[in-house]
Amino acid sequence: MSRSRVAIALLAIIASLVIQTTVFGASGIAPLGVPPAFVTLVVIALGPYVEAEYHLLLGFTAGILADLMGSGTLGLWAMSLTVVAYASSRLRARFNEGIVLSATLVFGLTLLGQVVFVVLGTLFGQNLLSDSSLAAKIFLPALWNLVLAIPVLLVLEAVFKQRDEGWAV
Amino acid sequence: MTRTTILFVSLVAIGFIIATFDVRDDGDGVANVMREGTQSIFEPMQKAADWIASPVIGFVDGVSNLAGLREENERLQTRLRQLESQVLETGAVQEQVRQLEAILGIEPPAELSTVTARIYSSGPSSFDNARFIDKGAKDGVVIGQAVIDEDGLVGRVDLVSANDARIRLIIDPLVSAGVRVQSTNETGVVSGRGDGPLRLEMFRATASVSAGDLVVTDGSRFPPGLVVGRIVADAAAEVGFVLRAEVEPAANLSQVDFVKVIIGWTALDADLQDGVVDTSVSTTTTTIPPTTTLPSEG
Repeated sequence: MSRSRVAIALLAIIASLVIQTTVFGASGIAPLGVPPAFVTLVVIALGPYVEAEYHLLLGFTAGILADLMGSGTLGLWAMSLTVVAYASSRLRARFNEGIVLSATLVFGLTLLGQVVFVVLGTLFGQNLLSDSSLAAKIFLPALWNLVLAIPVLLVLEAVFKQRDEGWAV
Repeated sequence: MTRTTILFVSLVAIGFIIATFDVRDDGDGVANVMREGTQSIFEPMQKAADWIASPVIGFVDGVSNLAGLREENERLQTRLRQLESQVLETGAVQEQVRQLEAILGIEPPAELSTVTARIYSSGPSSFDNARFIDKGAKDGVVIGQAVIDEDGLVGRVDLVSANDARIRLIIDPLVSAGVRVQSTNETGVVSGRGDGPLRLEMFRATASVSAGDLVVTDGSRFPPGLVVGRIVADAAAEVGFVLRAEVEPAANLSQVDFVKVIIGWTALDADLQDGVVDTSVSTTTTTIPPTTTLPSEG
């Protein structure tokens, strides 16, 4: 695993956090009142390009940064995105079987991340089960990620391909 | 067990330990320092992204709302006419109040200092009801201060650094506020439910409440008289004088771009250990009448 691949992956995660909190943030783009889970999408999409151990560490890092930028209990997104990265790494071979299957996997893994977060949040007293829009907040981010998966996967593929070709030259 | 699985279990365990310590510290201590540090690092990037993305977001909003614009325009014009007539009535009432206060020797309500702030980012998920504003300790903002917009109460400051602050919206399940129903003058507590209407609970209610009744803060945690919202449906006290109802927030929390932080009033239970408010900073002054009313919808 080269350092440049990890550096690109880290930059992608930092960019995703900035985009999540601004473009898909408070007054940003949130169809039906719920924004996509963009950080989760990027963590999943990085799976095919980094080794499983690095993928786990990137998921944990993305999660802890998301926790630090939010108002909830520290560590909840760290655990959720680690679970997503682990499940994603187990399915990494499937991401080479076409863009449609990849997008479907993104949908399922995002759903998994949202559910894990709600369960952990409830365990740690975040009172998430009382949320009147709980179902929408679990399901809609996964649906928007399904739509965003194709451009994000294509952009990451292009970035890593360019990096590999540049390295070869 | 593979190396990947061992690492996975270890990371989840670390996350669990971090979460446990954070819950034990009630979000204070090292975690707060780390949050402030992270926010300081990300703040310039977020402000730049917000500046770049704002026109695009505005365009997307405009296109998606195109169909409803005509209807919205008609509704706003009707509301404007209602408000104009109310302003005239309010002016006359204010003059009467001023004269009565002068006759009775009563001090008028104190003016509250506010600072206007812009929301530049939000929490990283739809479950997070945090918003970040571009004013902080340098502007006199401290933890516990109320945050309002032109419609009513928006939330409460819960984290402050030198140049920015985090506010927690009133719809957050961990936020509650002491309130008074204006029609009955009875008090209760509203708490957030993550989204949609707030939950109102009144434990010694003797009178019923009706749909549209105005709910304002009672002065226990937020300055008195701030509009919180309106009762959604009629409700009466149940056995044991407990009354439960829903309150639709007056502020449109999904569309808030600018807010005012009331820096001239802080609840007694607010955490003021960060220091004394610097009164030398430039502020504007707003009088918030204790009987502010909103026009009825429709």
